[in-house]
Amino acid sequence: MIDHEDFSILLFTLRIAALSTAVILPFGIFSAWALARSGGGARGLVETALSLPLVLPPTAVGLLLLELLSRYGFVGRLLQALGTEIVFTWKAVVLATAVMSFPLLVRPVRAAFEEVDPQLINVARTLGATPMAAFARVTIPLSWRGILTGTILAFSRSLGEFGATIMIAGNIPGKTQTMALAIFSRAELGDDRAAMRLVALTAVIAFAAIWTTEIFAQRRTRRIAH
Amino acid sequence: MIDLDVSLPLDHFRLEVALRTDAQSLAILGPSGAGKTSILEVIAGLRPSARGRLRIGEHVLMDSRSNLWVRPEHRRVGYVPQNAALFPHLTVEGNVRFGLARASGQGRCFDDAVNTLEIARLLHRYPATLSGGEKQRVALARALASSPRLLLLDEPLAALDVELKERIFPYLLRIKDDAHLRTIYVTHNTGEAIAFADEAVIVRAGRIDQTGPPAEILSPAVARLSDLGLVSDNIVSGRLRRDRSRAGMLFLDIEAGLSLIVPSVTSAKDGDKGVYALPEEDVLVSSAPLVAISARNVIEAQVAQIALVDSDAVVRFTSAGLQIRARLTGAALSELCLQIGDRAWLIIKSHSMRKLG
Repeated sequence: MIDHEDFSILLFTLRIAALSTAVILPFGIFSAWALARSGGGARGLVETALSLPLVLPPTAVGLLLLELLSRYGFVGRLLQALGTEIVFTWKAVVLATAVMSFPLLVRPVRAAFEEVDPQLINVARTLGATPMAAFARVTIPLSWRGILTGTILAFSRSLGEFGATIMIAGNIPGKTQTMALAIFSRAELGDDRAAMRLVALTAVIAFAAIWTTEIFAQRRTRRIAH
Repeated sequence: MIDLDVSLPLDHFRLEVALRTDAQSLAILGPSGAGKTSILEVIAGLRPSARGRLRIGEHVLMDSRSNLWVRPEHRRVGYVPQNAALFPHLTVEGNVRFGLARASGQGRCFDDAVNTLEIARLLHRYPATLSGGEKQRVALARALASSPRLLLLDEPLAALDVELKERIFPYLLRIKDDAHLRTIYVTHNTGEAIAFADEAVIVRAGRIDQTGPPAEILSPAVARLSDLGLVSDNIVSGRLRRDRSRAGMLFLDIEAGLSLIVPSVTSAKDGDKGVYALPEEDVLVSSAPLVAISARNVIEAQVAQIALVDSDAVVRFTSAGLQIRARLTGAALSELCLQIGDRAWLIIKSHSMRKLG
């Protein structure tokens, strides 16, 4: 059965995924809003750049981050001046999962924002709402399914992040080791049973998360069909 | 007083509108794509790229020379777009309360709007469950509750059938007359404009074509209604009556001694109100009484007005309280030798009577 170690790895992974999702949520919503409002060539460029983590090898993204954060990188020097260390700590795990899951959050949210009838925003403005108030009172409530879908997708992606994490956070048991990394370690050591326990755990969580989005997607289509 | 002088580039032309009016209610008419909605959007502040001046009463809302542009949320201009645009995630009450934060004396504004539009029964419903007419009333109440200085209505009745129009229209008149609210009303329908507005403006390709009292500039003689995409069918209303002795034929009793046979509808009951549209082109005119004819409806009438429109003539007839316009070719008119005051016989096929409500 699940032992203490499995449980603490699971808890650590869930915490990392929740934190990383919480960190990217405001940025993701803002980026989606900016993308939904803008048009033209610049938008395509920004969208492509934001989607890069989806298609690049995660290890490549991890290496880029490592360069940026290392003692010789721009951000690394800044952090050193501030007395903070990121590389090979749990913060690096959060950063890696955040970067890798960001595009998965932005896409559905942007699509949901684009579905909101601009006429509703116009009317809200004439009724005294500032652009921010109209966004909060009209756009957000009408897009909550898209926001939820994006959040769950990003969260699920965070649970399974491997490549970028191992590059900048390493695979340190009890410190930076998430489920994905632990499965790799245990399989490499030949302890397949222990690895399979973690596989089963992740499978259950991922299944539950994706199934939730499916349920909401179905409700939505049913509502449209009516 | 509304003082507007603006320009705004649109897809196919530039909107250039200069307008100064003291009218309490102004109707804007014109073919689709003429820029009517854009004018409303400029006034509401929804087109930041517009240049020029806009003043409502003593409030200057836009003046590009001094870089003044008041944001829509500060203009106090109510806007009811064509599709009502209710917030689908809010109840009727939530919709009407949306603009209340700004209004002074909030409770009173809300109650007034709800009472004026008679939507108290609907307050807990969601927009998706409302009929077209109810949606329009809620949209009007929502705009009204935000206590605007000026109300912009974009074809508020276009999506409704005639019977509903007849039901909503009194509310519009109530807003205009009781609430003493300055209103700009965009429509396709000359009848609505004449009934609603003190002044009418005809817009064509982004420019003002004509301005004046609605009854004058919108008479079929002056305005080329068909060019403008405006509708001016004869509207005939009365009570329905089924004549059992004559194979259940359906009659529309317009007034004592004046009835028209209309296409039979099984659902029609005696005493139901019937409203029919009759295109001007479908009225045939004879200068002599007819002996035998297949058309069921022959009305004796008098020529009241003759107006030449392009190569056609639109002749207005009166018969007791009924007014009917017929569109004839110029040649037909000269052959009939019709003069104002002459007697004539109007022939109307039952199937030309299109039931509206």
